[in-house]
Amino acid sequence: MNFILRRLGFYALAAWVSITLNFFLPRMMPGDPGDAVMARMQGRVQPETIDAMRKAYGLSDDPLWQQYFDYLGNLMRGEFGIAISAFPTPVTDIIRTSFFWTLLLGLTATIVAFLIGNLLGIIGAWRRGGLVDSVMPPLLIFVGSFPYFWLALLALFFMGFEWGWFPLRHAYSSNISPSWSLEFVGSVAYHLVLPAASLVVVAIGGWVLGMRNTMISTLSEDYVMMAEAKGLPQRRVMFNYAARNALLPNLTAFGMQLGFILGGALLTEVVFSYPGLGYQLLGAVRNLDYPLMQGIFLIITFSVLGANLVMDLLYVRLDPRVRGA
Amino acid sequence: MTTHSYEQLARDFREGHIDRRELMKRATALGMSATALGWILIHGHVPATLAAQEGTPAATVSDRLMTVSSEQASTWTRNFNPLLPEGSSNRWPTIDGIYERLFIYTQINAEIVPWLATEWSFNEDNTVLTFKTRENVLWSDGTPFTANDVAYTFNIFMENEAIPGNGGAVIAPFLESIEATDDTTVVFTFLQPYTIGLYDIGGQMIVPQHIFSEAGDLVTFTNENPVATGPFTEVVRFEPQIWELHRNPNYWQEGKPHFQGLHIPAYPTNDAVNLATINGENDWAANFIPDIEQTYVAQDPEHFHYWFPATGADVHLYLNTTVAPFDNVDVRKAISMAINRDQIVEIAMYGYTHPADTTGLSDAFETIKDEEAANAGWATYDVDAANEMLDAAGLAMDGDVRVMEDGTPLEFELNVVSGWSDWVQACEIMSQNLSDIGMRVTVQPYEQATWQTNVQNGDFTMSIGWSSQGATVFNFYRGVMSSTTWREIGESAGENWHRFQLEETDTLLDQFAATSDPAEQQAIAVELQRLYAEHAPAIPLFPGPQWGQYNTMRFEGFPNEENPYALLSTYSDEALLVLNTVTAKE
Repeated sequence: MNFILRRLGFYALAAWVSITLNFFLPRMMPGDPGDAVMARMQGRVQPETIDAMRKAYGLSDDPLWQQYFDYLGNLMRGEFGIAISAFPTPVTDIIRTSFFWTLLLGLTATIVAFLIGNLLGIIGAWRRGGLVDSVMPPLLIFVGSFPYFWLALLALFFMGFEWGWFPLRHAYSSNISPSWSLEFVGSVAYHLVLPAASLVVVAIGGWVLGMRNTMISTLSEDYVMMAEAKGLPQRRVMFNYAARNALLPNLTAFGMQLGFILGGALLTEVVFSYPGLGYQLLGAVRNLDYPLMQGIFLIITFSVLGANLVMDLLYVRLDPRVRGA
Repeated sequence: MTTHSYEQLARDFREGHIDRRELMKRATALGMSATALGWILIHGHVPATLAAQEGTPAATVSDRLMTVSSEQASTWTRNFNPLLPEGSSNRWPTIDGIYERLFIYTQINAEIVPWLATEWSFNEDNTVLTFKTRENVLWSDGTPFTANDVAYTFNIFMENEAIPGNGGAVIAPFLESIEATDDTTVVFTFLQPYTIGLYDIGGQMIVPQHIFSEAGDLVTFTNENPVATGPFTEVVRFEPQIWELHRNPNYWQEGKPHFQGLHIPAYPTNDAVNLATINGENDWAANFIPDIEQTYVAQDPEHFHYWFPATGADVHLYLNTTVAPFDNVDVRKAISMAINRDQIVEIAMYGYTHPADTTGLSDAFETIKDEEAANAGWATYDVDAANEMLDAAGLAMDGDVRVMEDGTPLEFELNVVSGWSDWVQACEIMSQNLSDIGMRVTVQPYEQATWQTNVQNGDFTMSIGWSSQGATVFNFYRGVMSSTTWREIGESAGENWHRFQLEETDTLLDQFAATSDPAEQQAIAVELQRLYAEHAPAIPLFPGPQWGQYNTMRFEGFPNEENPYALLSTYSDEALLVLNTVTAKE
């Protein structure tokens, strides 16, 4: 109990620090949204018009500390303000729609990478020195060490542009409207392939290596020997005895990954024009849209904190040693 | 009415076959507008805009949708509020497409095309401007458009200074009142003569009083289902990645537009737009594409075309004139002469434009340029002469760098927006060029909003940047050398970043704004050009090309060099003329 309280205290502190940074960081960038409109229009808007625009945006001249307390108050009430780049849409509306796409992309990529990676790891460790074991880990680690957005660019250029196998942008075909029809779901899946694959390819190596290594040490455990001695089928020993135990560290890592889903694929979204949070964040930064930036940063930091908290609590449940500490 | 008959009439008049009175009689019989007639009386030919419009055979309306990319966005937000400036957060073409203005000024032909207003005139002392509004125009919901809508629109800006508009907020401080005296007459009363305000009034989108007066807060009004006078008004589909705008059932120009509507996908970046354009997905786009002959046209030379007229305001090198030695006119001129503009234009701009001259004006003002001012010599590449001028200015060489009298070497940073590859490259070239005259210049890229803030606050020594443009030379010279735009260092200046002012400019600008006589304005424009050529307040590099690409696979009738009835740029005021002229192919 003591442990849980201490953890909760830590998370509360971390949340406050991130909220505060979230307020001050964007404001340390020079310029204001009016300047951004001016720069985007390259002087085609008269300065008097931009002055009126600043007034319209309601950019506050209050002292910074007062703005900070207003901001805290608004957060408590769940108000994120109005997005300036999509004036006058509330920030929450923008986050709500893009949140779904980021979650879909991130979850799909993480789960697929986790499943394939662990399976390859299990097989590799079981047939040590076999084809899977000797070829896959080095190859996947090699591929995985490329920056993920660079692989995404390659995939977009070759498979999207040059060969035309996959769509170049967006989350679904622009000819159909969102609905639960087979056509729409199919289109979403088709548009998901390239962005998700480019993330899977990068992430998979880590899973394979992690699983293979823990699996090897698990295989030398007495209970595995015992299971084999009892004459259980190979498959059962491999999955139910060895893999099940070896999976624990990777499962923790999986939990951590879930927290990073929201912030982990920002550039992939940008490359594929996938309408998620990362893509919105880019637009927000370009237009110095403080409210939207704050909203997105907050969602990302809170999801990381939340995932960590859940993992901490799960550990208490899973590992009795932590409880005593 | 065909162009042929108009042109025939113009020719008969030009060649003396008919007199003024006969011309007027026949023109009225043909149904020609008073402004077009006036144009023929002055210039002896039919305005190009009219020729292009009237020359298009009346085609039946096609059910095809044109795919256009004008603005870049990650997802579309539904906002059709025409009281926000273009490029802020309303969707293209809210300005000049859904809504319309009183008249359209075409940069490419330097012509005024009457639109929701048919004619206008100033009173004797230029303090009262009277507009006649067009009759038989309906809002898309069927309500008649009247002069009251115009008066209502401008009164919005008189009452609320937080509404920007597209000229409304600029002109409001100069106005005393706006009044509709009957259904087709609006009277603008000025506080003092300010004739160039005509263009700000002409540029403002006119909104329907019966909708906007009940809309509540006009700043946050998103106007999701616009009621407007433009060719396209019906939003039939709106999704985050795509939206469709269909034709106005009650459009006042019969038979127009010639096709069903616009199909507008969301592309997040320049690269995404260009990829789609090269792929043939876009029918019309307006983007910078590097090496366009190879990357775009070569993909399908029969259908892929572009047109980049150099009518955009001159891109300048700004030297902070409060910093020594840039306060010395000879130093500024010497720097200008050390810059190899041909090289910049060829390499950084892919040959899309040409070197600037010493008036600082782009091709949009070709007809009013003064020979003498344009050939002042300091925009000609001549390193030896530049070195001599710097020697004479007391900046002696010390090793490979010049030093000022107090021993400070000429070492400066040149600010540029990071990622604007054409400008970055231009700056790299200038940095090399300037080393030939003993200056050490380092190119310093900044994020666009940061760059913007720095130049506005005067927090820079050298920077590349755009300049102001308007229908007359007034805006440019006010922006580059007058006290109206001049601010102290540290105070934000929307223009005049280099901090330069001349009393003569102020006097000339006042005279310019006080007269509505074109001949008088032209005489003042010449003096302004000579003043600029004498003082070199900033260093003009090249006129900005106006981007535009089109694909004739599905549509035709886009403007180009042979048929320059409007600019090809989607973002220009003239885009409406393009929307009304383009036809779908069989």
